[in-house]
Amino acid sequence: MATVEFTREELMAVAAAAEIRDSEVAIIGTGLPMIASYLAKRTHAPSASLFFESGIIDAFPRDLATGVGDFRLMSNCVKASGLYYALSLLQGGRVDLGFLGAAEVDQYGNINSTVIGNYIKPQVRLPGSGGANDIASLAKRVVIIVPHQLRKFPERVQYITTPGHLDGVGARERAGLRGAGPVRVVTNLAVMGFDDETKRMKLRSLHPGVSLDQVRENTGFELLVTEPIEETPAPTPEQLKLLREEIDPDGIYISKK
Amino acid sequence: MATIEIGRCGSTGVKRSKTTSKIISAAEAVATIVDGSNLTLGGFAHSLTPIAMVHEMIRQGKKDIDLTSMGECWAADFLAGAGALRRARLSNYMFEGYGRCLNFSRGVQEGRIQVEDYSHFGITSRLQAAALGVSYLPIKVMAGTDILNVKTFDEDKYKTVQCPFTDEEYVAVRSIQPDVAIIHASRADLSGNTQVFGASSIIEEQARAAKRVIVSVEEIVSSAEIMKKPESTILPSFMVDAVVEVPFGAHPGGMFRYYNQDDKHIGRYWEASRTPETFQEYLNEFVYGVQDLWGYLKKIGIRQLMTLRADPKLGY
Repeated sequence: MATVEFTREELMAVAAAAEIRDSEVAIIGTGLPMIASYLAKRTHAPSASLFFESGIIDAFPRDLATGVGDFRLMSNCVKASGLYYALSLLQGGRVDLGFLGAAEVDQYGNINSTVIGNYIKPQVRLPGSGGANDIASLAKRVVIIVPHQLRKFPERVQYITTPGHLDGVGARERAGLRGAGPVRVVTNLAVMGFDDETKRMKLRSLHPGVSLDQVRENTGFELLVTEPIEETPAPTPEQLKLLREEIDPDGIYISKK
Repeated sequence: MATIEIGRCGSTGVKRSKTTSKIISAAEAVATIVDGSNLTLGGFAHSLTPIAMVHEMIRQGKKDIDLTSMGECWAADFLAGAGALRRARLSNYMFEGYGRCLNFSRGVQEGRIQVEDYSHFGITSRLQAAALGVSYLPIKVMAGTDILNVKTFDEDKYKTVQCPFTDEEYVAVRSIQPDVAIIHASRADLSGNTQVFGASSIIEEQARAAKRVIVSVEEIVSSAEIMKKPESTILPSFMVDAVVEVPFGAHPGGMFRYYNQDDKHIGRYWEASRTPETFQEYLNEFVYGVQDLWGYLKKIGIRQLMTLRADPKLGY
C-alpha cells in the first residue's frame, strides 16, 4: 500500500473511532468525538447507537452538526427527547461508551472543567461539568480526547469535576461509581491507557513520527511506559476518504492538509 | 386569569375567549416576579432561549435572582451582565461554538455571583424530585468529586444514603422547588397547552418542579391544532399559569421548525460581553433602548429575521 499523508486530527479521529465496537450504545459530544463516532458507524460499527445528552438519539444529519442540540441532528433522528431522558439511560446502565474532552486531565484521568484557582473566587471560571460527570460516573467505558499540552496534563487537577480513577486502585468502587472510568486517552501525540495495578496513565502507542521525549515534555507527570513502544496504526485510505469527503467535507473539525 | 391587551400580535386568527385565556403580555408576566426569587429558565445551548422574557426582566430592573439551572447559558449570562444575578446552581454555562459565558464568568471571578456546581443529571434530579413530590432522589453521579467535596452555599446540597433494601450507597439530592419557571416553547393554545418541537432540554422537569410556570411561545394556536399533534405537547394547560406570545422570542437563539440561531448577532453579543462597558452599550441599544419585543425585532430588522427562517421540510 502506498503511503498516504494524513493530519494528526485525522489520526485522532481514527484512533477514537477504534474504541467503538459494533452494536454498542455510545453517548457523544461535539467536535472530534462526533467525527470519530460517525466514522466508526460508517466502517466497523454500523449497528452502534449514537446519542447526545440533548436527548437526540440515532441522528443521521445531512450536514455535520456543530452542537449536541443542533437542529441538523433533530431534523433526521429516531428520537428527540430531553436531557433527563438521555442521562437516565446512563444511570439505567444502558450506555457502553462515552467520549469526553477536558480542560485539564491528571495521571488518574480525573478531569477539571470547573475552575482555575480557588472555587469561590477563581482566577478563571470555566463552563462546568455539563453531562461529563454523569458520563464518567456511569458509562461502562470512557475515552478522553484532549490536545497533548503540558498545562493540560498536570499531576493533579485543581478541581475534580469529572471522575477518572480518583486517587488510584479501588477508589471508584469506594465512591460507589458504577462505570469502569476512563480506559483511553487519545491526544495529538499518543494513545494512552491506565495501568491495572495503579490506575495511573500509561502509554499505549505513539503516533507515527512522534518521539517518547516529545510526549514526556508535554506531560506534567511521570507517564508509565513499557517497552517496546507500539506505533498508533495510520488511517487507511478508506477512512481518510470518508472523513474528508463525507463526514467533515468542509474541514470544520478536521483541518484539511 | 384576567386578560388585558392581547391584540398586538393577533395575526393568528385565533378567537380569544376572555374567560379561559391565560395570555398576558411579557411586561405583565415579568411584573409578577419578585426580586430575590428562585427562578429556573429555559434554554439549551442556542435554542429554546427565553430571551424576550429575560430582556423584560432586565428592563424592569429585577435583581438578586437566585437561579436553578442546568445549562441555560443565555439567561444566566444576560442576568449576570445586567447585575441581576445573585447566585446560581448550574452544571454548565457555555456559548457553544464561541466560548465561556463572559459576563457570568467575570461575575464569579470578581466574587459578585455565588455558584454551586452540579452535573447535568445531578441538578435535574433535584428538580425531578420536586416534580415527583418526594423530598430527595438517590442517584449515582457526582460521587468522589469536588462537586460534592467542595463546600458551597447550600448546606443541604446532598447527603449519602444507604438503600434500605440492598445496602447500596447513593448520593441523595434534595428536591428543589423554584418559585417560577420561565419556559420558551414552540406554541400554545389560550388555556396553556404547550408544545415543543424537537429536543426539549429539561423543560418538563423545570415546569413540574416550579411553584408557578410562565410560558412564552412563538405562536398561539387553536386547541384543535394542539390536538392534531398531541405527541408534541410537553405541558398540559393545568401545568401552566400564564402564556406570553413572543414571535422570534428566542432570538438570537433558534427554535426548531421556526428559525435558526442568528450567528451574526450571537457573535455581536459575545464580543460585547468581553467588557462591562461594551456590554452596557449592548444593553443600552438592544434592551433598555427599546420598549418591548417589537422594538427589539425592529432593531434586528425584518431582512435579517427572514434569513433565519426554517425550511419547512428540514425544520432548520
